[in-house]
Amino acid sequence: MTVHPDYPLPDVDDPVMRPFWDGARDEGRLMLQRERTTGRAHWPPKPMYWKGGGRLEWFAASGRGRIYSYVVAHEPFLPAFRHLLPLVLVLVEVDEGPRLVGHMVGCRPDEMAFGMRVRVVFERLTERVTLPVWEPDR
Amino acid sequence: MAVQVPGDDLFRRIQDRVAVVGIGHLPFAKDIGRPISDTAVEAIQLALDDAGLEPEDVDGMSMLEMEGTHEVSIARRLGVQGLRWWDKISYGGGASCATLAHAAAAIAAGLATTVVCHRARNRGAKTSRPWAQERMLVRDDKALHVPWGLVRPVDIIGMWAHRHMHEFGTRREHFGNVAIAARKHAGRNPHAMMRDRPLDVETYLAGRPIGYPLTLHDCCLETDGALACVVTSTERARDLRQPPVLVHAVAQASGPNPVHLANYNNTPAMETTSVFCARLLWQRSALQPRDMDCAQIYDAFTPLVITGLEDYGFCRRGEGGPFTEGGRIELGGALPVLTSGGGLAEAYVHGFNLILEGVRQIRGTSVNQVPGCKATLVTGASGVATSAVVLRAA
Repeated sequence: MTVHPDYPLPDVDDPVMRPFWDGARDEGRLMLQRERTTGRAHWPPKPMYWKGGGRLEWFAASGRGRIYSYVVAHEPFLPAFRHLLPLVLVLVEVDEGPRLVGHMVGCRPDEMAFGMRVRVVFERLTERVTLPVWEPDR
Repeated sequence: MAVQVPGDDLFRRIQDRVAVVGIGHLPFAKDIGRPISDTAVEAIQLALDDAGLEPEDVDGMSMLEMEGTHEVSIARRLGVQGLRWWDKISYGGGASCATLAHAAAAIAAGLATTVVCHRARNRGAKTSRPWAQERMLVRDDKALHVPWGLVRPVDIIGMWAHRHMHEFGTRREHFGNVAIAARKHAGRNPHAMMRDRPLDVETYLAGRPIGYPLTLHDCCLETDGALACVVTSTERARDLRQPPVLVHAVAQASGPNPVHLANYNNTPAMETTSVFCARLLWQRSALQPRDMDCAQIYDAFTPLVITGLEDYGFCRRGEGGPFTEGGRIELGGALPVLTSGGGLAEAYVHGFNLILEGVRQIRGTSVNQVPGCKATLVTGASGVATSAVVLRAA
């Protein structure tokens, strides 16, 4: 837990996003949102009062998906991420449907492929912030 | 012939009845050495001079603004007697044409008679990059991507570009065709930052990776600049110094699920915000893509031109890469694109230079003049909430 002093940490108290950050930190779960009636997951999440309330619920997703696209980031980059360069930034299409932005751990750029299976792992950045990131689902 | 769109009365009142009558800009620079609160005023003054109008004629102001300058200060310094209507539009490169769209709507609705539109920005210095300022607590939508390191525009657009390559077989050489065309056009433009810097395919392909698949020459410049145009009714324009450039159609669109510069959760994902903007634009336009003599397609990164060609209907989805082959987008080709050099090679000023180049093409005064140019498309950025305009000759 030695995060760079300038790391762009998320506001985990945001009322809409809070269940996502709480789930990652406290339970090691990838929390997503869906509509109760259709069961369809969507991303980004909506406020729970949407359309009068009672229509949405958060649920623990499988934490698995496929690489929809990826980019390999090189310098110039933010100092907080410099030790991770070349950083593989990903757009993961999770098995529940939505596409989530993330980055890979434990995977070299030349190991990446479109459609590759990935699974979520949790990286503790601070006492309050745990970041869901992705590794190959071998 | 005005197009009939039921219930779209305002757009019928804009169509060809509002005109751009003046343009102006300061020399582009890496370090302009003056605050934008000052350069904005001079750019507007230059545009008024070009039109043959006085500050006293101005009663409206529309600006692409994200820095906190003030209409009243700009108007006061200019000597405007009083604004009756004003408007600020954010969203960076998405907002360029929206300034013109809003001005046209205000004039058509009778809220103002003569509106100055402008963009002034100082981003030439490396330390001025917004992404490089990201630190500490990231709030709101930015928390959806910045904490993972997806923060530079090049990576956000690169995500789309890479998928486009995978899905449609688009190659880096196609992106290179865009960069090379922009440089060629800039070579004849005395104002272009890259006027003495020709680019060939070998140099393009050898560019160092920034956010692979995007490399150095896929990225626009970062420039200090201040640009303005003057908009008034076509009726009033007839008495002015310049031949009027008619605003034929305007549109703005966000599409569903936008987050910062992307809408990755669209289905299908390759539909950028421009798809939705294009739909509205062509619906409101009697002219169609085949009628465009050239196009100024927003180019912060080369793949945006490829997807822009698709989004705005110059070719089908997935065909944007091959469309750039054989010099088709260069002067002398079927659809010259970015005839001033664009953001890639003239100056990156959130695409406002594309509006000025569109006006010059219709006037017949571009340094890369398309012979007999009667109509041109100017677009804002794909991905972010965007805007577009069709300009035509009287």
